[in-house]
Amino acid sequence: MPIRQTIVFLTIALLLLAVIVELVRRRRLRVEYAWLWIAAGLTNLLLILRYELLVDLTDAVGAVIPTSTLFFLCILYLALLSLNYSVRLTELTRQVKELAQEVALLRAEAAAREAPVRAQQDAR
Amino acid sequence: MSRGVAGVLLVIPAWNESRNLPEVLGELDRERPGEPRVVVDDGSEDDTGDVARRHGVTVLRLPLHLGYGAAVQTGLKFAMRRGHDVAVTFDGDGQHDPADVAPLVEAVREGADLAIGSRFLASAAYRGGFGRRAGRAVFSALARVLTGLPLTDPTSGLKALGPEAQRLFALARFPDRFPDADALVLARRARLRIVERPARMRPSRNRHSMHGGLRGVSYGFNMLASLLVAALGREADLEG
Repeated sequence: MPIRQTIVFLTIALLLLAVIVELVRRRRLRVEYAWLWIAAGLTNLLLILRYELLVDLTDAVGAVIPTSTLFFLCILYLALLSLNYSVRLTELTRQVKELAQEVALLRAEAAAREAPVRAQQDAR
Repeated sequence: MSRGVAGVLLVIPAWNESRNLPEVLGELDRERPGEPRVVVDDGSEDDTGDVARRHGVTVLRLPLHLGYGAAVQTGLKFAMRRGHDVAVTFDGDGQHDPADVAPLVEAVREGADLAIGSRFLASAAYRGGFGRRAGRAVFSALARVLTGLPLTDPTSGLKALGPEAQRLFALARFPDRFPDADALVLARRARLRIVERPARMRPSRNRHSMHGGLRGVSYGFNMLASLLVAALGREADLEG
């Protein structure tokens, strides 16, 4: 890979990693979601610094040019990421449902407790 | 948890039903006076909750619109906490007839865990459009195959549930979109005793029918997927 390309990509990869780490540090990104992003950032770095790894991988999977291997890996990564989001969304949906139901049940309980008190107040 | 002391509870899911509710509740008052009932206000934008409250009915007000299944589930959780030995789900849109409640309650008291009001066992014919009829035929057939029971109306919203059925239907992972055929498959897998009783269904007076048009198509796909999950799911998920 030409040296200018390496410098550009290296800068981008390092910036990305820095942003991820900073987000985690400020607790804007939870640690359990961060590892996926950090893994992606590190893979980026590795492939920029050791381009021959990508060439080897291309040979290994039987692809012709390294760019197609790269694109394939990116798409696979994004697909897995969306799947991961769907799973988390499912869990969140369930949690929101349970919470909303609990709110409704507790409200009714509170109203039932308040009713006798209110009746007393009204009587006064 | 106390069990079977508080008698029958009517669970009435309602979403933007302020126009239909007074008549539904009035009819229930005449047919089944003095029976505890709870309206689950499924995040309505109208004054459904106030209408029910003015009628002297307990209201479970969901802060969000969760959908039919989750609304019913809320009512069943209420029934479980109060220890009702029978919970009857009764739609708030006026399509169910209060006279059909008694046979369902009786079926549960006679030992069934889940009694379903079937419009096809009743003499008054219920039809509905072609799409609905086709969809219902498919899901009825699937439910019959998957449960091994001669069920005629798996999509009925009129059901009476004993304590075991209440427990199953209140599970966090229970299908909560439109629990019908998939719910019955799960109930069967949980070894509940399921029976059907005739019920008269009136056309819903609602402007937002649950399964109309494109929604019907989406409902069909969802139900098919949900049925497969119900049939192939893990046994452990039935335990909660």
